[in-house]
Amino acid sequence: MYALSTRATATGAGWFPYALIAPAMLTLVIVALVPFVYTIYLSLHEMQFARVGDWAGLANYRALLGNARFWHSVWISTVFVALAVPLEFALGLLGALVLNQGVRCRSLIVPVLFVPTMMAPIVVAILWKVMLAGSWGLVSYNVLERFGILSDISVLASPALALYALVFIDVWQWTPFVMLALFAGLSSLPMAPYRAAAVDGATSVQMFRRLTIPLLMPLMAVIVLLRLIDAFKIFDTIFLLTAGGPGQATESLSLFTYKTVFDFWNLGTASATAVVIWIMFFVFSNAFYQLARRTLRAF
Amino acid sequence: MSTRQQAESRRRTLFSLVAAAWALIVVLPVLWMTLMMFKPEAIMFARPPVWLFPPTLAHFDYVLAQGFVWNLVASLVIALISTLLVVLVGTPAAYAFARYPIRRRDDLLLFVLATRMAPPIALAIPFYLIYARVGLLDTYVGLIVAYLTFNLSFYVWVLWSFCRDLPVELEEAARTDGYPRAHVLLRVVLPLLRPGIIATAMLCFIFAWNEFLYAFLLGGKSMETLPVAVPKLITSQGVKWGELSVVGIVALLPVLLAVFLLQRHIVRGLTMGAVKG
Repeated sequence: MYALSTRATATGAGWFPYALIAPAMLTLVIVALVPFVYTIYLSLHEMQFARVGDWAGLANYRALLGNARFWHSVWISTVFVALAVPLEFALGLLGALVLNQGVRCRSLIVPVLFVPTMMAPIVVAILWKVMLAGSWGLVSYNVLERFGILSDISVLASPALALYALVFIDVWQWTPFVMLALFAGLSSLPMAPYRAAAVDGATSVQMFRRLTIPLLMPLMAVIVLLRLIDAFKIFDTIFLLTAGGPGQATESLSLFTYKTVFDFWNLGTASATAVVIWIMFFVFSNAFYQLARRTLRAF
Repeated sequence: MSTRQQAESRRRTLFSLVAAAWALIVVLPVLWMTLMMFKPEAIMFARPPVWLFPPTLAHFDYVLAQGFVWNLVASLVIALISTLLVVLVGTPAAYAFARYPIRRRDDLLLFVLATRMAPPIALAIPFYLIYARVGLLDTYVGLIVAYLTFNLSFYVWVLWSFCRDLPVELEEAARTDGYPRAHVLLRVVLPLLRPGIIATAMLCFIFAWNEFLYAFLLGGKSMETLPVAVPKLITSQGVKWGELSVVGIVALLPVLLAVFLLQRHIVRGLTMGAVKG
């Protein structure tokens, strides 16, 4: 159907489609490709603050790979992703199954659930500063102190707990997204296999395991991949809530990169980090593209 | 009603209550912040936290006196102009990708997607250095251009998915009747595509409105968007919690509006078109 429609409108299109994409592609080359190439150029030179010095070959990359703080930040990002994403997925799947039980007033409940996901990072930061503030924050007082857990500790200022608080906040913000995306997937599943299974006397647990999970698998893979990408590059919320501290307890890869530039003015290392991150995310994007196209047939 | 129907109805009510409670817990921090907007300074730090009190508007006065209106204007101007640019440049591209066999189409689309997925911090560094050199730091133009990186790529990608859903027959009929391609695009495709354009553009507006990192690094004293102006409320006399809540809720208003208007389209946007929503 798609191949056919392409052929039908495309005969003799000539330069027309290229004129349509040219402005957008040129703009993207200027705002994305040029900065990327410039970063590669910087990463291969000795940098004294913002001044470009001699050709340095791969010295900046060697320095980066030998930097313990870089590896620490990779570890922090990995822990963050490894805790947040599975939690968001498990809770999100549970919530999607609840929503799928013919819940009433969905047109009211669904938008409310979207609020945290669409919220600005600055608003997330203000909200949770308030909720977790010293001894008078709503969560601090009612949950943490009343039951005698963690008295006299501000969670975000504790080296042992700050990272887990950030994971909690990410789970709060993104679980509803996973939930609503999976719910959209559940709503669009074909009915026929379920009717057939019901005729054969399958129980609802069997149907869930043998039908729902396999049918939903490509979509689940895409959603998990999207969450991995987003959670791995998280910057704003951490920057605003803990700034990577206390110490380096919440210094994720993005925060390490930020500090290397704007705190230490070590632009050589920072450019090398940016290039490494960039290549990593190009691989992620490609995986998303292939997955969504091949298995979900979305594109 | 049969007993079977009654049981089914009870089950639905039960799950509705679970879902409603879930939504309430998720949104509880927002409700709490809404209360804090009106909370007198004297009971701000009360233990246990106070839920009922005579409201005050003192926090609003302080926020107005601090000139936050100008930050609001800066945020609006930048988000609006960058969204308009994105719609203007991005719509033809999304349509062409959906309808024509463009050479190396897959590679171009992957480039668009990768631009969207790239971590902002990796882009912010070259932007900062280039802007410092050409004098675009602390300017509206600088931020509007920087916002194109994530919004133009997002818009082209998501609108492409809307374009693929359009039935091609109308366009073919118009072409057979002898109308030129540009005419078909403007008179046949655009009206059909309008809901998709509006939904995707609204998401772009929200992303630009919410954006923090670029505004923080590339902006400056003469051009502060709302998110970046917040630290003004962390003073040497301590944190102005009531005022913070006011700014937070104001920053949240366009988001609330969009969330209620967009419902079905948000999932599609946030999954980059992978879920039809």
